[in-house]
Amino acid sequence: MAFPLRWLLICIAWLLAGALYLRTPVISPSGDFVEATTAAPSTQRAPAFQKTIVNPGQGLPMVHVASLATMSGGIEAAVWYGGSAECAPDVKIYLSESEHGEQWSSPRVIMTRERAEHDLGRPLQSVGNAILISESQGGLRLVFVTIAMGRWSGSQLNTSVSKDGGITWSQAERMTLSPFFNFSELVRNRAVSLDSGGWCVPIYQEFLGKFPELLWVNENHGHLEYRKSRIAGGCSTFQPSLVPLDAKSSLVFLRDYTDNRRVFISRSDDGGWIWSKPAPTQLPNPDSGISGLKLNDGKLLLAYNASTSCRDNLVLAISNDQGATWKKLVTLEHEVGSTFSYPFLSRSSDGSINLAYTRKRKEIALTKFNEAWIAEALDSLSKIQGEAPHP
Amino acid sequence: MSATLLHTLYAGLAPWLALSLLLIGRNPYLSRTRVIGSLLLAFFLLRIPVGGWSSFAWCRTLEMNPSFTLTGLLCIALWQRLSGKAIFRREDWRVAWIFGAIAALTLYPMGLGLTSLDPYTWGWGPAVAIFTAICSTALLIRSNRFGVILILALGGSLLHLQESGNFWDALMDPFYGATSLVGCGYLLLKRARSSIGSCNHLDFQRH
Repeated sequence: MAFPLRWLLICIAWLLAGALYLRTPVISPSGDFVEATTAAPSTQRAPAFQKTIVNPGQGLPMVHVASLATMSGGIEAAVWYGGSAECAPDVKIYLSESEHGEQWSSPRVIMTRERAEHDLGRPLQSVGNAILISESQGGLRLVFVTIAMGRWSGSQLNTSVSKDGGITWSQAERMTLSPFFNFSELVRNRAVSLDSGGWCVPIYQEFLGKFPELLWVNENHGHLEYRKSRIAGGCSTFQPSLVPLDAKSSLVFLRDYTDNRRVFISRSDDGGWIWSKPAPTQLPNPDSGISGLKLNDGKLLLAYNASTSCRDNLVLAISNDQGATWKKLVTLEHEVGSTFSYPFLSRSSDGSINLAYTRKRKEIALTKFNEAWIAEALDSLSKIQGEAPHP
Repeated sequence: MSATLLHTLYAGLAPWLALSLLLIGRNPYLSRTRVIGSLLLAFFLLRIPVGGWSSFAWCRTLEMNPSFTLTGLLCIALWQRLSGKAIFRREDWRVAWIFGAIAALTLYPMGLGLTSLDPYTWGWGPAVAIFTAICSTALLIRSNRFGVILILALGGSLLHLQESGNFWDALMDPFYGATSLVGCGYLLLKRARSSIGSCNHLDFQRH
C-alpha cells in the first residue's frame, strides 16, 4: 500500500470515528425517575374497591398479558393479546378504553401479524406481549413483541405511535436490541418516565439465558433513540418490574426461573445503571409474572401468585421497609385449578391504583382501589394478627 | 430515498453477493455469459416467492443487519473471483478471520447473558467505533488491507445504512462470526499439523 494512500485512509478512519462520536445520542440513564415523585394523591378518602372485566364476552380461546396506561383526559387504556394460543399466527393485540375504569369500550384490534409484516417488510409468525406508554405530548406509544420464528426466543421488540388516542397507529418500527439475529427481547411490565422526557422500559431476554434488562427510550425530533442496560445476566431471573423509590434509587422485582421459587429483588442507587445482585425475598414465586408499585406513604405494593407451584391465586403484599420484609395483604383471587396471572399495577390520573391481570386465560380483569382501602386492609390484618393498628 | 428502502437495499447486498459466489463456483474457466448469468440468477433466486414472501424477505427475517465487514469481504471475494487478481493477500484474510473470531468471542457469549456485563451496550456509545479506528490504523500502518474494511464499517454506520444504530452490528454478525471461528480453527489446525510435521521431521533426522 502506497505511503500517502495509507495515511489518507488513516485520516478518513479517524474522521469517521470522530463523526460517530459526535453523533452518539446521550440517552443513558441521564434522567431522574419521575414516577416516584409525582404519584398523584388519591382524591377518594373513603376506602374504594371495584372489580371489572375489561373484555366481557370477547370469546377468544386465549387472552393474556394486559397492560394499562392513562391517556390525556384521564382516560384509561388497556392492551392485551388474544388468539387461539400463544405464538399462534392468529394472535392480535387489542385495545379498550374507559373513562373511570368502570365501563370499558369494546375491544378493538390495533396490531395484527399481517399489519406488523406489512410495516416491517418481512414475514412473521405472530405478535405477543404489548405495553402502552402515555407520552407527554399526548401521544400513545405501543411497544410490542413480534415473533419471527419458533416461540418466545425468536421474538423482537417493535414500537408504533398513535396521536389520536389509539385509533390510528404509525408504521411499526423494529428495535435492534440483541447481537444474535436480534433474538430475543420481550416486554411486559410498566415503563417509568424520566425527567429528561424519555422512558425507562423494563425488558428481558429469554434465548440461551433468561435475564432482566432496561430499555432507555427517547424521542428526538420524531426520531426514536434507544439503548439498553443489563440488570443481571445468567439464566435465573427475568420479567423485571421496576419501582422507583426516588429520583435515583429504584428496585426491580424479578420472576424466578431457578429452583428457589422466590420473588427476587435487586436495587440501584444511581438511576438504574448499576444493580445489586438479585436476592430472593420471602415471597414465593411459581415462575410467574409479578408487578410492584410504590404507594404515597413510601410502602411498596406487590401483586403476585402466592405459591411455589401454580398460579391458582392472586395476592397483594405490602412492604414497609423497601422490600426487606412483606405482609400478605389480601387474596384477590383463589380457585383451585384456575390461573390468575401476569398482574400489571399502575396508577390512574385520580391517584387510585389499577391492577390488570389475566383471569383464567379467558378474561382481562381489572381491580381498582385506593390507598384508603389498602390502609383499611392493613388495619384488618393487624387486628387479626393482634398487632398495634396501622398508623 | 427513504431510510427503510435504503436499509432493505443494503440488507440485500450480502445475500446476493454470497449467492453469486456460490453460483460462480470454483470453475477456473469463467465466461462473461456465466458471470452475468450467475449474478442475475442470484438476484432472481432472492426474488422467488416462498409462502407469499420473497426468499430475500425470509433472509431479512433472520438477519436484517449484515455487517459491513461481511459485506466488504464478500465484495472482495467476488471481485477476486471475477478479476483473478488477489486484492486480499493471505495475511489480509488471516487478520479478517482473527479479528472476526476475537470480536465474536467478545460479543456473543456475554451479549447473550453469560455475565452481568453486556458488551453489546458499548456499541451505542462511541467506544467500539474508536476501538475500530485504532485497529484500522494499526492494520494500515502494517499495510494490512483488512484495515480498509474496518473503515467501511465506520462509514456505513455513519450513513445509517443498517436498521440497527448499534456499532457492533456494523462490525459483526453471526455469519461473519461463525465463518471467522471456522477460519481461525482451520488456521490453528494447519499450524498444529505443520508443527507436528516439523517435529516428526526433526525426530527422523535425529534417529
